[in-house]
Amino acid sequence: MELQTNLRRIILAELLVPLALFIFGAYHGVMQTIYMSGVIRATSVAGISYYEGLTAHGVINAIVLTTFFAVAFGYTVISQQLKSQVSIAGATLSLVLMLSGAVMAAVMIFLGKASVLYTFYPPLMAHPLFYVGLALFIVGSWVPLWTWIPVYLRWRKENRGRKTPMGVVGILATFTVWQMATVPVAVEVLVQLLPWSLGWTHGINVMMSRTLFWFFGHPLVYFWLLPTYVMYYTMLPKLAGGKLFSDFAGRFTFMALILLSCPLGLHHQFADPGISTTSKGIQGVLTLLVAIPSLLTAFTLAASLEYAARQRGGKGLFGWWSKLPYFNPENWLFPYLFCGLLIFLFGGITGIVNASYSMNNVVHNTAWIPAHFHLTVGGPIFLGILGGSLLIVTGLMKKPVVSGTMAMIVPYVWMVGTFIFSYGLFMGGLRGEPRRTNLGLTYMNPASPSYRPDWWVPAHMGMVGGCIMGLAVLLYFIVLIRSLAAAPDAAASQAPFALPTSEPYHDEDVPAVRNFTPWVVAAVLLCAAAYYVPIRDIAKNGITTAPGFRPDSPAAVDTTH
Amino acid sequence: MSINVFEKRAFLVAVASVAVSLALIAYATWGMGINVPTCIPLGSKPFEQASVTKHEGKNYEVHYVARMWAFEPSVLRVPTGSTLDMYAVTKDVTHGFLIAGTNVNLMLVPGAVANSRVHFDKPGIYTIVCHEYCGRNHQNMNARIEVSDQIADYSVEGLPADEGMKLLDAKGCLACHSVDGSVGVGPTFKGAWGAPVTLADGSTRTLDAALFLQKVRHPDTIAVQGYPPVMPDLPLTDDEISQIEAYLEGLQK
Repeated sequence: MELQTNLRRIILAELLVPLALFIFGAYHGVMQTIYMSGVIRATSVAGISYYEGLTAHGVINAIVLTTFFAVAFGYTVISQQLKSQVSIAGATLSLVLMLSGAVMAAVMIFLGKASVLYTFYPPLMAHPLFYVGLALFIVGSWVPLWTWIPVYLRWRKENRGRKTPMGVVGILATFTVWQMATVPVAVEVLVQLLPWSLGWTHGINVMMSRTLFWFFGHPLVYFWLLPTYVMYYTMLPKLAGGKLFSDFAGRFTFMALILLSCPLGLHHQFADPGISTTSKGIQGVLTLLVAIPSLLTAFTLAASLEYAARQRGGKGLFGWWSKLPYFNPENWLFPYLFCGLLIFLFGGITGIVNASYSMNNVVHNTAWIPAHFHLTVGGPIFLGILGGSLLIVTGLMKKPVVSGTMAMIVPYVWMVGTFIFSYGLFMGGLRGEPRRTNLGLTYMNPASPSYRPDWWVPAHMGMVGGCIMGLAVLLYFIVLIRSLAAAPDAAASQAPFALPTSEPYHDEDVPAVRNFTPWVVAAVLLCAAAYYVPIRDIAKNGITTAPGFRPDSPAAVDTTH
Repeated sequence: MSINVFEKRAFLVAVASVAVSLALIAYATWGMGINVPTCIPLGSKPFEQASVTKHEGKNYEVHYVARMWAFEPSVLRVPTGSTLDMYAVTKDVTHGFLIAGTNVNLMLVPGAVANSRVHFDKPGIYTIVCHEYCGRNHQNMNARIEVSDQIADYSVEGLPADEGMKLLDAKGCLACHSVDGSVGVGPTFKGAWGAPVTLADGSTRTLDAALFLQKVRHPDTIAVQGYPPVMPDLPLTDDEISQIEAYLEGLQK
């Protein structure tokens, strides 16, 4: 079925505008690695300071690009797989709110009024419009789910007994997680930060705001990941030339992530004061339970790839690995998903270190952390977004991909870059190198008393990797721009655009994973149980502070006039 | 159709590996005694002054104060084999407190006290890194702990109290007031802070910030019993007075 024309336009805007912003996000990523190696020893380059660039890199890449992609991909999947019309008014409202919010926040960042990083920890205080922008963006991203639910319920009524298409299950899971996770951060922004930055309130409970932020901050990473999981479960087996090994595994994984994505944000606060070790320990255990759907996913995807490879003539215990379509320009999307999986293997393993309670002491807030999450959000998620965007943009505009070979190379270049980058930062992190720090001025400066020669090799590996990652992004934009500029593909314009969709190999029928309600109810209860005590402790201790601080001065901000 | 047998096994392997991981974490926590920071009950307000206190043997209690963009004390020297109980607070924004090469890794959040313990059995220079973005000069924010075989006791730099001692000397206070308990023209500072003092009019007051300020700003309005009223007017700034107070507070211990 062809998408509604207006919806097609909205989806294209939701993919292309963030990609344009991403040019700045990627530039500031590469620049940071150069600053951190000490090759650039400056507070700013071209009028933009290191910390403004760092804020832009985080906000654009981790919030704007990821959320817009989830919304655009969600609309594509829902309307195609349910073969239904969705509310154009809702989609327009969502686009307008999200775009205006993103632009408002970006302008404040580039004016230097919001160098507070994407975690915007108070009492560092940004311009009120930065917080307004974030709030608009979050509220805008809520709208799609509200308009999809009636469409989904209608489909269920008209298709009694049929399984909901896997992609729809995944997208609804994605936005259910997002809905649960963003309520606390919206409270933080609207109740704590905005009135405080406007001078209406003077004290803020900083521990409370950190806790509300991380209630959101970890499910945020599952929200990033889930659209890629949708691609892995619904598209990868098809692209590999086979079937999805287990239908149950996909449905179970999506439901398990609804249950387990929220009640574990405290593992980002293992090093915080003001929270008891018991509360931290409970959420630490819940954190590790995510390994169960993750390992089941690893098994199912490997089994699906093996099935595909054997269909293509693969033999032997390991020999079948050679039969997958690694370098086929016609099938350029496969390496985006496959390289993402390879990277994710290391992202998952290293994540166990941060998540493992007291082991976090060794790596907390060091360069280890960005090394880890560039193998998760910077690996499968980012490659999924690049590949998925190119697929949908060219598909909806009926354009050819120019060229398939170059598009196919991008994920390999990216993978080499991220491995070098992350290896360097892992090494540095274990030696105490802090994250989010303009190292070149002090720790990477032989003239400074703070010079740390043992961080030289890690920081320089970070730079080499970062530049290779930058090269991959450059190649991607060459492909994207050439494809957009190309004449429409005559053959493609005959058939409606459709996402590749895999068939199940084992189509198990397990009723427990076919209904959202019990999983959502259990998730809410589990969140309440995991967060009741720490929130109560923090509220009772009343850890408040005086007005905020601007990043450029140790004198408190006077908001009284 | 039922679930494939290999998939069931994969599921069991996943559950088993989580169980093994949890068991290892439990062992690290209780068996090896490596824990994460806990919640210190905030009956009183967080301390405001950095200080070092020597306890029995090579045990020290160190109170660190972080601010944009420095730690107090900036340098701490201790003998090899020392055990340090670290308490740290922030005066402004959230800071990080990582001692590179150890398991000490804390967040310093406004209003709360962070705590950890560290034992140094290898000599060397350990960097304390602020690892949370805290504004423009975040990359400048560090301190160090020097662990050495060559010293028998601790020494420290960059405490406001050190500045207090320098001021007492520079402003001439030490001409009349000793810091070691010996008798001079005026009463000794040793153990005086927070202790009762009998004034010339027979009343008893406690030496606190209010009394101290009055004596410095208007020396002729108060005299201590048994001492001549010869205290001169001293041009001290508020900052200097608070640095001296910090030092005097330390002298009572």
